[in-house]
Amino acid sequence: MATIHLEELRKVFGVGGTDHVAVDGISLEIPDGSFTTIVGPSGCGKTTTLRMLAGLETPTGGRIRFDDRDVTDLRPQERNVAMVFQSIALYPHMTVRENIGYALKIDGVPKADRDEKIEEAAETLQITDQLEKMPSELSGGQQQRVALGSAFVQDPDALLLDEPMSDLDAKLKAELRVEVQRLHKELDTTVVYVTHDQTEAMTMSDHVVLLNEGRLEQFAPPTELFDRPTSAYAARFIGTPSTNVFEGTVERGDRGPVVAGQGATIRLPTGALADRVGETVSLGVRPQYVTLDGGDHGLDVTVEVVEPLGTESVVHCRTADGTPFDVVTSDLAGVDPGGTVRAGFDTEHVYLFDAGGETVAFGTDLREPEESP
Amino acid sequence: MATSPRGLVAVPQRIQARLTRIGVYVTAVVVAVFVTVPVYLMLTLAFQAPADAFAGGRVNLIPTNPTLRNFRVLFETTATSTYFRNSLVVTASTTLLSTAIAVSAGYGLTRFEFRGKSYAARAILFSYMFSPIVLAIPLYVVFFALGLLNSYFGLTLALTAISTPFTIWLMWQYFQTVPIALEESAWVRGASRWRTLWDVVLPVARPGYVSAAIFAFSVAWNDFTMARVIMSDENLYPITVGASLFLDRPTIGWGETMAVSVLICIPPFLIALFLQQYLLQGFNVGGLE
Repeated sequence: MATIHLEELRKVFGVGGTDHVAVDGISLEIPDGSFTTIVGPSGCGKTTTLRMLAGLETPTGGRIRFDDRDVTDLRPQERNVAMVFQSIALYPHMTVRENIGYALKIDGVPKADRDEKIEEAAETLQITDQLEKMPSELSGGQQQRVALGSAFVQDPDALLLDEPMSDLDAKLKAELRVEVQRLHKELDTTVVYVTHDQTEAMTMSDHVVLLNEGRLEQFAPPTELFDRPTSAYAARFIGTPSTNVFEGTVERGDRGPVVAGQGATIRLPTGALADRVGETVSLGVRPQYVTLDGGDHGLDVTVEVVEPLGTESVVHCRTADGTPFDVVTSDLAGVDPGGTVRAGFDTEHVYLFDAGGETVAFGTDLREPEESP
Repeated sequence: MATSPRGLVAVPQRIQARLTRIGVYVTAVVVAVFVTVPVYLMLTLAFQAPADAFAGGRVNLIPTNPTLRNFRVLFETTATSTYFRNSLVVTASTTLLSTAIAVSAGYGLTRFEFRGKSYAARAILFSYMFSPIVLAIPLYVVFFALGLLNSYFGLTLALTAISTPFTIWLMWQYFQTVPIALEESAWVRGASRWRTLWDVVLPVARPGYVSAAIFAFSVAWNDFTMARVIMSDENLYPITVGASLFLDRPTIGWGETMAVSVLICIPPFLIALFLQQYLLQGFNVGGLE
């Protein structure tokens, strides 16, 4: 168990004479015993960050501490971490039992104690029948369980998982998601989980680290990341379908400032954004908060494609100037590809981003004073 | 018969497949005859007394009276056993040394970045282009200066020099097929680099180094040139050089010469028999899944 501190962590790779900044000054504190997910698109530096935690990459700058212990320059062997690799990386020449017990064997744990721990791990992961088999005889899901089992017996300060489910099918993923969380509870250790799948990040973690091209975009619990994204990037990355973002302008209206865009006019509280009058801003609304009837505001959108998901459907539309705009609805009455619908939403569900993509206001803060109870 | 639009006679696929199969069989039979006939001649002459083999002025191809007489003559009147032992000693040490160098160099080339790596790699391949005789004379001069002529060690070094470029290259290629994640996972679990090499890398790379060892073995066992140049003491001759001397001796006939050939064939035959699965895997790098 350990709190993991990252201070101004940086990693630069020299590729063919040019420097590529993979991780660019990340500072954060991963709480002891938490389940923290590092998420972001490919090439955002999430795996590099994890490999620096494991000691497999040496940081170009900054420090890493486990509690008070500075591990920045320690080799992987000298840190008490366990890691599950994307490629699973089971030793093909060892049985499942030997694979799980390898870390204990290196530590010089006597065989009897080793077997006891291995069997306990195998039972937790339901692979007791597989113990004497070779890894090549196992299915993908079972191999992943063995990899988790190896981490389980190590009793590490931190358990690091590098996209461990990216090669598994959807059903197995769902099964193993539960398995990983159960393991986290039993192990009572700090888990750092890397994924590009925001669903995994949202469903499993206590905290989410969202990276964007090597920089920390937002570090927050999943619900906060969903409800109060600090940037348009965060708003668009988290949640499916992606948040609708369209342009608007801050104007001085008759009764105070307004944001106008795509035919919708949103009144702002008196005094809000006073210094931004005339500026172009972006408005964001999650498709889940858009309704096809009602809402404080609305814009006319043209329906392009309807994707039924079972209980509800995603309606892909475009606004008058061609900006994509998605709506999640369970009522498809009057929705036809090629037709026009009115997409309505309430002020409290709107995010306002400045030209640089930073969030300047959340809808909940924009309700006019007289409207609030 | 059906014709294609261009007027060519179309051969039905079934006939095409049959022709292909016949072609393969014919080729295989021709190759087999060329390989088998000399081996059969060797065996049939080795296990017949000369009087039987050449009775009636013709070579008797079907042994009616098999005997070990030729082998007895060899071991009683010549230094064959010494030659054989010399060959075994030099071959074993060359195989060990060459494989050890290949494993370390191959691992280093695969896993470490260093200045001049690509030049080193090219130099290795380039040095493989030299024929042994080109190396033999300079090596003679070097070994003369170092006092290594007429020693097992000297011949071992020379044969290692011939086989190592290829074995290093082979191991370099093979180690590239071993995923780095296997090693990293061992490091994270606390295994040192050496321990990882021993516990994880070498077992996984076994087909590779077995192939390298087999190659070094065959270079050393079949060597004639280097031994001829470096060894001038008859007691240190390997069996290849020793056997060649028999041709000049009036007391040694075809029967005995074929018998020594049989002896030379035994170790490679045993190796091929027991290790062929590794050999195929090792030389098939890249074809592995």
